[in-house]
Amino acid sequence: MDALDLSLLPQEIVVANERFPAELAACSDLDALNRLKGVYTGREGSFAVKLMEKLKSAPKERKRDLGAAINSLKSTWEEALKAKQVDLEGMKKSLEAAKNLWDTTLPPPVPPMGALHPLDRLMARLVEVFRPLGYHVEEGPEVETEEHNFDGLNIPEDHSARGTADTFYLAAHPQLLLRTHTSPVQVRVLKRLATELEKRNGIRFLAPGRVYRKDEIDPTHSPMFHQVEGMLVGKGIGMHHLKGTLAYAMKALFGEGADVRFRPSYFPFVEPGSEMDVRCPLCGGAGCRVCKGSGWVEILGAGLIHPNVLRFAGIDPDIWSGFAFGMGVERTAMMVSQTPDLRLFFENDQRFLKLMGGLD
Amino acid sequence: MLISLKALQLELPAVAKPALKDLCEIIASLGFPVDGVEQGLEGPVLDVDITANRGDVMSHRGLARDLAAKLGQDLSPVELDPLEEGEALVSVRLEADACSLYATAVLALGAVQSTPPEVRAFLTSLGSSPKDLAAVDASNELLHRYGQPTHAFDADKLQGGIVVRWAKVGEKVVTLDGVERELGGTDLVIADDSGAIALAGLMGGESTKVTADTRRVLLESAWFEPRVVRAMARRHGLHTDASHRFGRGADPGMARIARDLLAARLKRWAWASVEGAWTEGSGPIPRAAISLTKELLQRVAGEPLPLDDAAVKLRNLGCGVEENQVSLRAVPPTWRHDLAIPEDLAEEVLRLRGYDLIPSSLPPMKSDPEPLSSAYRQRLSLSRRLAALGFHQTVTLGFISPEADARFATTPPEGRTIGNPLGYEYSVLRSSLLPSLVHAAESNLRQGAREVRLFEIAPTFHATPDGPEERSTLGIVWAGETGGQDPLTPQGPAHPAALQGVLAALGSSDAQCEVRSLEGGILVAELCIGSIPAEAERVIPTFQGFSRFPAAERDLSLVVPLDLPFRRLAEAIQRALMGTPLQSLTCVDIYRGKGLPEGRQAWLLRLTFQGDRTFTGVEVDGWVGSALEAARSLKAELRG
Ligand SMILES: [Zn+2]
Repeated sequence: MDALDLSLLPQEIVVANERFPAELAACSDLDALNRLKGVYTGREGSFAVKLMEKLKSAPKERKRDLGAAINSLKSTWEEALKAKQVDLEGMKKSLEAAKNLWDTTLPPPVPPMGALHPLDRLMARLVEVFRPLGYHVEEGPEVETEEHNFDGLNIPEDHSARGTADTFYLAAHPQLLLRTHTSPVQVRVLKRLATELEKRNGIRFLAPGRVYRKDEIDPTHSPMFHQVEGMLVGKGIGMHHLKGTLAYAMKALFGEGADVRFRPSYFPFVEPGSEMDVRCPLCGGAGCRVCKGSGWVEILGAGLIHPNVLRFAGIDPDIWSGFAFGMGVERTAMMVSQTPDLRLFFENDQRFLKLMGGLD
Repeated sequence: MLISLKALQLELPAVAKPALKDLCEIIASLGFPVDGVEQGLEGPVLDVDITANRGDVMSHRGLARDLAAKLGQDLSPVELDPLEEGEALVSVRLEADACSLYATAVLALGAVQSTPPEVRAFLTSLGSSPKDLAAVDASNELLHRYGQPTHAFDADKLQGGIVVRWAKVGEKVVTLDGVERELGGTDLVIADDSGAIALAGLMGGESTKVTADTRRVLLESAWFEPRVVRAMARRHGLHTDASHRFGRGADPGMARIARDLLAARLKRWAWASVEGAWTEGSGPIPRAAISLTKELLQRVAGEPLPLDDAAVKLRNLGCGVEENQVSLRAVPPTWRHDLAIPEDLAEEVLRLRGYDLIPSSLPPMKSDPEPLSSAYRQRLSLSRRLAALGFHQTVTLGFISPEADARFATTPPEGRTIGNPLGYEYSVLRSSLLPSLVHAAESNLRQGAREVRLFEIAPTFHATPDGPEERSTLGIVWAGETGGQDPLTPQGPAHPAALQGVLAALGSSDAQCEVRSLEGGILVAELCIGSIPAEAERVIPTFQGFSRFPAAERDLSLVVPLDLPFRRLAEAIQRALMGTPLQSLTCVDIYRGKGLPEGRQAWLLRLTFQGDRTFTGVEVDGWVGSALEAARSLKAELRG
């Protein structure tokens, strides 16, 4: 095609065509572009329309050249406008995308998170620790009889624990009390299973729960606290089995490095009786305030089940033997966490619960 | 119990060898943990924790005896100058069998008396102040050194002979602490012709007490039945050094020895001269022999232990032992009231060997294992789900004040009150968890918490004629402002419907989801755990078919009267669409703003149809038409 012969076109168009690149560049959005489009290539009154009118009225012999010139000009405009439109649409899209873009440096909204109570977590953990050894969970009521709480546990009739200074009794039912330990669960389970022991080859279980003693509330005492009791009855059970079981449990609870020691002690419902200490977690054994300088912290009481406890439940102690242990949950929780005041566990301040609890 | 290291060393020189820390370990290994060591005037004073069954260790000599057996060392001999016994100068009658031995002596005191400085220092280091009365200080010293409580009466104040008998009902005695005590038929007393002059094993009386003016003393060194002394101490709230020792069982073999030691001290400290000494009774029945088989010892110890070695250990503890190939028979010494059954002997053998030598092994897995109960698992899974839903588990006391209980209780507190509570505010076993939870929520809000979400799972107590019945209960409290902590979650007060949604998420059906809104925007709900359907026993439930055909969803915008409950409208539509594949009908938006007629609101209902084929538009339009017709019957109109 020949080069565009501008001399064939009206002056007005020539000027407009010279202005076109600048006007096109000045369009910053699609609206402006559409207005410019109207001016140059629109259906009414545009430069393109004016050129077509000019062509109609041109002399016959000039029509061919003029037509070619007009078409060339029109398509130059149209192509430039189209290219600009693609540009502007692209810009608009990326702007909108930016608007919807989340600033990934903002802290993300976290769904509201609660927590299990540290004492419940520790008890659930203990159950978990003993599951591989075949222990299940047995439970009993918090309101108990003297028979289950004392008589069945070889606790002498004149033992001070039975007194109203130590134990809560119900006003309307003087024979009922708030259990002072989880051990009545032992008595209930042993009585229930006495005749089935042979068939099921013994029994092993944990009894976690709440217990009550008449202690004033202070940094180390509470009238309500938690215990986890454990018991195993079988044939030929000795102190070595108790040691092996608890040594495993402490490693599972505190880690491979957990160091324990067993000392003789006395509880009416076991013989021999023992207390177990763990190496003081605060000082590592060097001696500190928590361990009263000894390097050891008492964590539970244990022993072989006293023959009288088995007899009371109707079990022959010449055939069956076993061990029992009982852990204070608060004491252990305080030791593990170095929580300075027992009352924090019952105050239920959400800040404490958030920090000390967890989801499972 | 306080133990002076210096005095312990006098009884057992061997304790000087180990370092103090090691000595404490050895004492702990015998079953008596050392709770602390203080530096006293005369050197270290150990606070030793003696178990309740070992009255015989409640003295320096007693602890030294156990240590001597452990270390295989000898005790120092007791410097004894036995009194010659003769005729009774005063009649002593033992009328009650709770006192089976009464050693006594009468001494005339010299004009001057003084307690030696080393004894004053010994008593002071144990927190007991010397009285500078030879008889009193000597008796006190003997108690701490040898564990045998003794008493000195002012012999010139005695009226007639001495009788140890049960008190007469209503009889009175003024004890040394100045308290007048009314006695009953189970109180054992020392009496003279004037009546009771001392509470046996507990405390002497004012009327015969030794003073600086006392010229003659009558000594008492007796043995009282432990059970009787314990009961008296409890009844009178009078727990003394003497009652602790008699109550756990004193050594009848020490009665005469302690009297002689006391007399010897009075001779030295107060220039006393003995007028006469004699003893009534022969003491309690000697303890029976206990046999221990090799088999039992092996079972308890976890390994075969030679019987002859066990015999040596028991002899070191003072037992008389005979042994053969398969068993041994041991007669416990007079001071060991705790030895009664074969297991006791096995414990003694292990105790002296050291529990750290016991082997350690897991018991055989013989007994049948059991799964965790569904009740336990349900509580655990409820707790975990609530924690994941943003709630914090709490632990609160099981007893509360009657007022707090009344706030939520549906029954009066009778039948669940405590007879001897810690205080009025802890006197009722709660029938609802809500008082404690609301209290915890309020205190959290006061502490500045924006939002409080708490729950507790615990038993509640409900009176029955046989005593309180315990129901495992879940309580929830939600208070404060929720949301508003990030750009995506709007802020607003906790909404009752949101708590209802939490309960629904736990599987509780509508009827049980009673959410209450309390003052201060505190929302509470309480349910019996038993009313929440437990998870299915099967890990994976029975297969149920589901439609793979596309669901048809239609929204219906209705203008309805403000007082029309959603449930009524939903039920009407569900009735009308009975037999159609209507899957769900929910309200997804509520509008109560401008542009609606007075007393009206706009609901956007969403109907979802799904079944075993794809539905045509005409079919679905027909069902939606029926729904609209049902809505119109309740004065609901299509929103224009
Ligand atoms: Zn420490």
